Amino acid sequence: MPLTKDMVPGLVATGASARVDADVAPKVKPGDTISVRNINPVGHTRLPRYIRGKKGTVDRDHGVFVWPDTAAHGQGETPQRVYSVYFTAQELWGSDYPDNDRLYIDLWDNYIDPA
Amino acid sequence: MSHDHDHGSSMSDTALRVKALESLLSEKGLVDTEAMDELVETYEHKVGPRNGAEVVAKAWTDPAYKDRLLGDATAAIAELGYSGVQGEDMVVVENTPDVHNIVVCTLCSCYPWPTLGLPPVWYKSAPYRSRVVRDPRGVLEEFGVSLPAGKQVRVWDSNAELRYLVLPERPAGTEDMSEEELAGLVTRDSMIGTAVVERPAG
Repeated sequence: MPLTKDMVPGLVATGASARVDADVAPKVKPGDTISVRNINPVGHTRLPRYIRGKKGTVDRDHGVFVWPDTAAHGQGETPQRVYSVYFTAQELWGSDYPDNDRLYIDLWDNYIDPA
Repeated sequence: MSHDHDHGSSMSDTALRVKALESLLSEKGLVDTEAMDELVETYEHKVGPRNGAEVVAKAWTDPAYKDRLLGDATAAIAELGYSGVQGEDMVVVENTPDVHNIVVCTLCSCYPWPTLGLPPVWYKSAPYRSRVVRDPRGVLEEFGVSLPAGKQVRVWDSNAELRYLVLPERPAGTEDMSEEELAGLVTRDSMIGTAVVERPAG
């Protein structure tokens, strides 16, 4: 049944969080150095190519979320932690770039390894 | 070649394509046109960057609120009544004299709808998405913002389910302004990070 007019305000105001109430132990903690896996999935992924293989620092732990790489294909939620991780501009783009600028991105457990 | 003259229909190719899709979906019973009109009405007239401006002005005038906003943005923004689709899990990042934040979604067009409404066309464009992660200072220059070399730029790629809102710096010379007047200074782009909030003229 399609969405009806009377359902719109409730839907818009509530949304659907991708947080999962699951107990998943953190793989890394803020301050830790991580390396991003150099993986090349053929399906849906939220891991952009420009950070694959790069080293970053965990800034914060956002908690446990659905993993889109499986969820988008109807293969289950695969709940895992998501961390805000930063990379220096020089790590991503080379020594011509400012040494103090950073890029922050959110990474699921399955995208990273402790470095 | 040019199609900017009138053929008796003012619809662009894109608008025609959207109309055709809407008709098909509606004929097949997959969408309810009244529900769709309600969604369009909501995001054209009820939800937009004035919501975010209200959040920013409150953070500028109420230090306890600012602490809550930076600690748990989703809950603090919901205190003002803003929550829901594409704002389920919010993070607010603060601009300071030492740090400038700027938000992008390199993979698509993720954007905090309850506080900013729907994203502008440039935010969804490939040039913005691909360039701002590599050369944020150059992109900012094109938006008219020159940052000193000593100020750190932090680019936030909202690739996951978190949605980011920039808390801009409060301009000097606004000490006597009310929260409502301050909200009037806050622009959409300053909450994406492609602008700074200017001190009022005069």
